[in-house]
Amino acid sequence: MPAARAPHLDGLFGALADPTRRAIVERLLVEGELSVGDVAAPFAISGPAITRHLQVLEQAGLIERRVERQWRFVRARADALAPAEGWLSRQRRHWTAALDRLEAFAAAQTPRRKKS
Amino acid sequence: MSEASDTTLRLERLIASPPEILFALWTKPAHLLRWWAPEGYEPLVDCLEPTPGGRWRIIMRRADGGELATSGIYRIVEPPRRLAFTWAWEDASGVRGHESEVMVSFEPAPGGTRLVLMQSRFESSQARDNHRNGWSAALDRQTGIAG
Repeated sequence: MPAARAPHLDGLFGALADPTRRAIVERLLVEGELSVGDVAAPFAISGPAITRHLQVLEQAGLIERRVERQWRFVRARADALAPAEGWLSRQRRHWTAALDRLEAFAAAQTPRRKKS
Repeated sequence: MSEASDTTLRLERLIASPPEILFALWTKPAHLLRWWAPEGYEPLVDCLEPTPGGRWRIIMRRADGGELATSGIYRIVEPPRRLAFTWAWEDASGVRGHESEVMVSFEPAPGGTRLVLMQSRFESSQARDNHRNGWSAALDRQTGIAG
């Protein structure tokens, strides 16, 4: 059974619940490490807003940051989505088994169609 | 790996029963008790108020007396086609954990009903609404608080 309290999952799903932050993670997963400027380029939002999104992603364990001289870089963490995938897989098992039982009971409830 | 759908669970089934019967299986306590709990658990309906804003809470009791509860609030109740509710497991002291959203739809199909269950894993209805509405000042404030 899934564990109830999961502050880490809350942070992870909260971070992923925003289209801008998802777009950032998707791009980092494909392109590897990017400078903060490159991350911000596709978005018509302010620098501070991008910085805040990156903070949320970092706190959720989705990305990590690196500073090299005056340049700041970000990249996706390799195992970033593993907790989310684990949660998803547990839910899938839960609902698949529940729907098996629902289907069996629905069949018992439903009158058989007469053959014509 | 990099799709928005990664944050959503989707299950689809063709079931040889009409939507009305399936909808009742989700919304009538006596019917829900017949399928809700896995083997080894006895389900108990604490409350089931299938109306928008209504609460639901179901306890699963093990033979050794241990209990495990799930609970939430109904968002959409459109018999016999659509049902949406929030969802969270409770821990032993009754504290609700990570909350997600479940949507079940019942579409008539040849031979019965196409049941589609979607569970999106957003942390709150606020996050869900913000997601639906796109980037917004409200989210900016929320992330400011969270950060």
